[in-house]
Parts: sequence; structure tokens; C-alpha cells
Amino acid sequence: MTKEISALMDGELDPQEAERAIRACGMDEDRKRTWFLYHMIGEAMRGQAPGSLEVPAGVAEKLRGEPSVLAPHRRAARPAARVAIAVAASVATIGIVGWLGSQGGSPVPVAAPGPAVASSAAPAAVVASSSAPAPVVAASSAPVPVVAAPVAAVSGSIEPVSNTAAIQTVPALTVQEYLVAHRQVPSPELYRAVTNRTPVDAR
Amino acid sequence: MRALALAGRRRWLPALALGVVAWGAEAAPPTDAMGWLERAAEAARSASYAGTYVHSNGQRVSTVRITHVNVNGQEHERIESLDGPPFEIVRHNDEMFCYYPDAKTVRLDRRVNARFFPSLFRAGADVVAQSYDVKLGGLEHVLSYDCRWIRLQARDALRFTERMCSEVASGLVLRAKTLGLDGQVIEQYTFTDLKMGPAVAREDVKSLLESRVKRWTTDAQPRDEAKSVDTGWTVTKLPPGFQKVKELRRTLPGRPHPVSQIIYNDGLASLSVFVEPNDSPPRTAEASSEDGTTTFFARPMGDELVTVLGEVPLATAEAVGHSVARRP
Repeated sequence: MTKEISALMDGELDPQEAERAIRACGMDEDRKRTWFLYHMIGEAMRGQAPGSLEVPAGVAEKLRGEPSVLAPHRRAARPAARVAIAVAASVATIGIVGWLGSQGGSPVPVAAPGPAVASSAAPAAVVASSSAPAPVVAASSAPVPVVAAPVAAVSGSIEPVSNTAAIQTVPALTVQEYLVAHRQVPSPELYRAVTNRTPVDAR
Repeated sequence: MRALALAGRRRWLPALALGVVAWGAEAAPPTDAMGWLERAAEAARSASYAGTYVHSNGQRVSTVRITHVNVNGQEHERIESLDGPPFEIVRHNDEMFCYYPDAKTVRLDRRVNARFFPSLFRAGADVVAQSYDVKLGGLEHVLSYDCRWIRLQARDALRFTERMCSEVASGLVLRAKTLGLDGQVIEQYTFTDLKMGPAVAREDVKSLLESRVKRWTTDAQPRDEAKSVDTGWTVTKLPPGFQKVKELRRTLPGRPHPVSQIIYNDGLASLSVFVEPNDSPPRTAEASSEDGTTTFFARPMGDELVTVLGEVPLATAEAVGHSVARRP
């Protein structure tokens, strides 16, 4: 059903399927919540505060305490695609793209803050479970107020924390640096001088 | 009734005459698709324009203000991001000055692969036409200008199909779309406001952010590295239509040694191949991602890590990544 709701929001359903999905949404509390969460994710990704939606009592508060999780990649996960691309609402010209390879091709979700953005407020990226849609976990304290693991949302228990608990941290090799080298124009979030400046010796 | 109709027609005459004068000032629009393509490429370089455009690529959207003038054949351009922290690029031909006021740093680089809407071409129209079937599409009214769509249909599945709406009088591209292999729009540029011609002055392309910081630190390394070197690497099975633009060595943050980079394009789409020691830490599995037109593919190759990044379908990036070899 989650997939249908996602497809409905993306305008990918034909009229009959859409009607069915809409009706199903109206009849079931869990689905309603999923619908609501997906819209919040969408709004957050467009850089809008989720406040423009009527937030059910308690939900917003609960969400605020969770790690930032952005929406799934729209395309179905490919077996070879072990990487998800995350979006920072604040990123200009070039978006933040994080690549965190799972060692040994293990299907276990792996997450880590991209070192290139670890110190910034921008959300970094990650990951990939074998099931689509893959949740994307932002590991930094991003200003994006929204949060929701779509997979968890299906069950109705909004607990992305239980997802992140299983996540191990590995050093990340990030796509950003290649992107900067390719496009030559890093946005402020991605810019890091490579100049060999002699660091001031503290001793 | 007839007199009335005549009077009505007469009233149009001066307007018609003015129209003809205005028409005469601009060259007549080309008659064939290749002519439109050449003119669109030329207009982005030689015209003066200032405007705001929205760029969406996959899940990302950004708003950018661009001011471009051409004085005696010299291109001057100022590009300012309207989203996120302040940042600005001032470009003089291929010299780029990237201002980061928060970091008090100006990053210098020489343009190799960077491109800024509405300047989307990376080679001449003849090169583009080898890989894309160029046809004219319909007329559209955009921002109170008339523009005609130029359709660049990819000749194979190794690249994405493009559409550009070229303003009828000047040729400037007002809107551009890239279609994924399934025909969906995956990347899009569109001006949301635009002025053209003498209203745009040389002063308008001077940095606005420069005065914000008293002492700028200059990061000249990117510019120093933007020179051709022999990396020793090559792509043995390059997709048809792609040509090598440059090979260089880039220092990437956090890496002890420079990374080899080879840049290719087909006149429109480009891709970079990176080769570096696979040791920080070693990667054992292939990885890839796609978002909008941006595709990323990496694979361990012996002691090296090969990475391909570009505006191409994943299959193209994978094919390139699998045919990297030492130059004989």
C-alpha cells in the first residue's frame, strides 16, 4: 500500500488505481498517516516547513526527536545500485550526494555521515537495504525538521530509531568530491579548500 | 462596415512598420534546425542578458541569478545562488572566481567542464549533431517571448534526449529539458525572469559579494591543477560520439595523492573518469547511483578504484567504468 501511496503522490497511477488508493487512504488510520508523512517529506524536500500541514497531535513532537530521514528514491532499487542520493533542502547549484559503500557487498544497511559535510548542517546521506524504497538517513543534525522512515510508517509505528540502531558506521567515500571535480563549482556546503596551507602549530 | 474595417487595419500599419524595423535589427530566424542550434549556442556566448532561472535535476531544485555580457568578444558573467548560504561565481571567459564569503575564500579555477544555463553546449553544433538527431519543434510563449523548441533526439540509448526552447529573435535558450530513457523529464532549466540587450551593463557582472569580506583567502590550487597532464589511463571502449576533452590530476579533500581525471563529452553530455589507489579504505563492491541526469558508478579494479560521474545513463557509465585501462 505504501508503494501505491508513493505512486499516487508522484502521479504515476492511472485514474482507477488512483481512486482506489485515495479511497483506501481515507478508510484506514495507518494509511492516512502514511499519506500525511509522505507529504511532510515532500514539503521538507522542497524546503518548506511542515507546519503548513495540519499536524496530528503529538506526531510533530515525536518526529522532532527523531534523526532526519529523507524520502526514498523514486525508482525501484536495482540490485547493483547500492547507493542512495539524499537531498539537502538548503543546497544550492549542486546537491549533496553521498555514497556509502557497504563493505563486501553486504545487504545490511550501512550509514555514516559524509566526511565532507560532517561539520556542516547539511544532511548527508545514505544507503540501501535490499527492499525498495530505501530509507535515506541523514546523520547530521540537519535543520530539516522532518523525519520519517517510510518503511516504519507502513506498520503505523513511527520508529525510525529502530532502523538506525541496526546501522553501523563505516568511513564514507563521498560522491560530492567527484561531483565538485566534475562540475568545478562547489556550493558552500561542499566547498573545502585543498590548498596546502600550513596549519598553525598549537604547541 | 468596410470603412470601419479599413480604419481598423490602418491603425495597425504603424505597429506593423515598427515590427519590421525591430525585425530588421535582428537577423531573420534560421530556416533549418542546424541553423537554430548554431544560433542558440552562439547567443549564449555573444548576447547580453540578465535573469533568474530555476534548475531542477532529479530531486534537487535551485534558483540562480545569471548576468552575462559580451564586451568586444570577451565574456563576463556573474552567477549567484539565491538559495542557501551566499556564494557567487564571476567568470571571465574560462577564468572562474568562486566567492565564499562565509569561508572568506575565493576559489580560482579554469573552466574545463563547468557550464551554466543557458550555455549548454560543450562543442560545436556539428559535433552535437553526430550524436543527436536535430529537429525543430513547436512554438511556445515563454516569459512574453516567443521561442521555438529544438529537439535533440539521442541517436542511441547511451545518452539522454534534450529539448531547448530558443527565443525567436535572439536565439537565446529560455527553457531546456532533459528526458530520461523512459521519456520523463529528469532535468529542467527555465528562466523565470529575463532581460536582454543593452539594458545589461558591464558593471552588472562585477562581484557583489567581494566587498563583504575585507581579506579574502585565495585558493588557487584548482586553477593550478586545471592543466593537461598524461595520467597514463584511458578508456578503451569509449561510447560513440564522446571525445576526450582533457586529462588532469585533481587533489580531492582528504586524499594524500591527486586523483587522475579524464573528461569526455559528446558536445552536450559530459562524463569524468577518476582513477585512484583503492586504499582509503579499500572498496570491494561496485556501487552506483542516479539522480536526475547525474549518474555515478564506481568499481574496484585491482589496486585502483575507478569512478565515473556524468550526465549519462547508468549503462553508459558502467560501460565506461569497465573499460578503463593503462595506456599502452
